[in-house]
Amino acid sequence: MPTSEEKAREQQLVDELKAGNLEAFDEIVNLFQKKIYSLGFNLTRNQMDAQDIAQDVLLTIYRKIDTFQGKSAFSSWVYRITLNAAYMKLRSKKKEQFVSLDDAFPAFNGSGYHQEKIRDWSESTDSLLFSNETKDVINKAVDQLPEKEKVVFILRDVDGLSTEKVGEILELSIPAVKSRLHRARLFLRKKLSNYFDEFYAKKEAKKP
Amino acid sequence: MICCKECLDLLCDYLEGTLDPEIAAQLEEHFEDCPPCISFLKTYKSTSKLCRQTMSQEEIPDFVKSRLKDFLNKNIRKPS
Repeated sequence: MPTSEEKAREQQLVDELKAGNLEAFDEIVNLFQKKIYSLGFNLTRNQMDAQDIAQDVLLTIYRKIDTFQGKSAFSSWVYRITLNAAYMKLRSKKKEQFVSLDDAFPAFNGSGYHQEKIRDWSESTDSLLFSNETKDVINKAVDQLPEKEKVVFILRDVDGLSTEKVGEILELSIPAVKSRLHRARLFLRKKLSNYFDEFYAKKEAKKP
Repeated sequence: MICCKECLDLLCDYLEGTLDPEIAAQLEEHFEDCPPCISFLKTYKSTSKLCRQTMSQEEIPDFVKSRLKDFLNKNIRKPS
């Protein structure tokens, strides 16, 4: 969460930019370009697309600063412009995939208790948890998430924004943010669990 | 005593610390007797952590930074 000094500084920069101060714009660029680029990259998984998005967004901030009315935080406005630019990119590529998140829920018996064995892979060695193969599994799984869940997951869990902030950016209620976040986490947990289950099964099969 | 399925629905709020203390206590009581839920909780938490560490960008690549700068100089400093 930004401190009140950071918020005041943001407001000051916005006012200065509205007055045509290019140095204020430079500072805004420095403050936000990494956030814009990384959100663009995580949504498109493509460096060139992320660069195009960053260009669009920075230019939009400069040209449309007068339309920013301060109803939400400036950073929320910037995030919203970034999401719009990223969605335009994604739509132009028409890469629609439909995955069902329902399969990500664990199986329960009639009384609501876990039906299958659940492996705790959370304490595996770092060399497994952070292997390139695990990274591949994560990147592919996040890419498969439906857009609504993906964007909430990236903002909340990857970028580390608060649930409230994500709600403000996406104009969603807190319960709606949490519900999408939960569904995304369950889906990703399932994908990681499948991968680690397979890894350990292979390892155990090799034992003499 | 709440069941595993109910625990699952409470997980998000539990980790955010926004659960009613009484319900949080019931959840923890369930966890004490339920190894599968503990494994689930730990892997659920780990999922967020692993994704964050994998996907967080350290820095913008230098060549992108310099292209952005050129782009802005061209489009903003010298308006046509």
